[in-house]
Amino acid sequence: MDARQAARTLEVIRSLMERTCQYQLLTARAGLAAGCLAGLGSLLFLFLDPANRVDFVAVWSLVFLGSLLATLMGTVMRGRERGERVWSRQARAVLWNLAPSLFAALALTGYFVDQGKHLWLPGVWMMCYGQGALATSAYAPHSIRWLGVAFLPLGALTLWLGPNWAVPMMGLVFGLGHIGLGVFLLIQERRESGLRIHRSVA
Amino acid sequence: MNAFKRLLEDLDPVLHERGRLAIVSVLAAAERLTFTELRDALEMTDGNLSVHLQKLEEKGYVAIDKQFVGRKPQTGCRLTHVGRRAFSSYLDRLEAIVRQGRGQAPA
Repeated sequence: MDARQAARTLEVIRSLMERTCQYQLLTARAGLAAGCLAGLGSLLFLFLDPANRVDFVAVWSLVFLGSLLATLMGTVMRGRERGERVWSRQARAVLWNLAPSLFAALALTGYFVDQGKHLWLPGVWMMCYGQGALATSAYAPHSIRWLGVAFLPLGALTLWLGPNWAVPMMGLVFGLGHIGLGVFLLIQERRESGLRIHRSVA
Repeated sequence: MNAFKRLLEDLDPVLHERGRLAIVSVLAAAERLTFTELRDALEMTDGNLSVHLQKLEEKGYVAIDKQFVGRKPQTGCRLTHVGRRAFSSYLDRLEAIVRQGRGQAPA
């Protein structure tokens, strides 16, 4: 074994260890779809009144459900491509860590909508999302950790800017944030597409 | 050059086999994996995986337990302290080889 082979073996070991504990079925396509949906949601308020809570809740519920659907479809397709189980140990760990933030976001959404203060929700959602992303960082790709780190101060900024900035900030943070994530994942997927590391080892 | 040779000779022969190294690498990142999870993660055949696990168990690197989940028997595998130490030492030696190759002094 020479230094080059040793370096290659170390790289393979690192990849194997990452594959074992990391959830790797997150796709660039899902990130891009979620970003586009959030952008589209923001643009819809050029025609709708964000102060109308029915419109506000309906639009963002559709964006959330659409993003969830895109993520599920992307995950299932990626699982099939790689011959991996979708409901894996890693997927369960990610969901288990995500659950408290999701619960908090849903409970706060109910409260703010009920109080007629729904335009404060975008900041709250960003902070819950950031917290959730950070909670899954032990199992998720590194890019999710950075997304979480970015969302926390951006959520605080959105709250500080107030209701007038609620919709533009949703488009900027959730829209551009997810498109950025999608582009990053796409570059990563292209880079790693030829590297089926475990096959070369096992 | 002698130092480099010594590094190569010091590589644990049990771990210096790609199948076993892959098994230990995967187990090092998880507390416990079932035989099926390990087989699927490494795309090994049952026979191949069994042979490697047996060798690793004999050396005391891997502990294998059998339990019932519902009515189905399940074989679990985990890395022992000895195995984790051996793996860590193997990684140290690989890093030393890389450093030697780059002309740096081993740590």
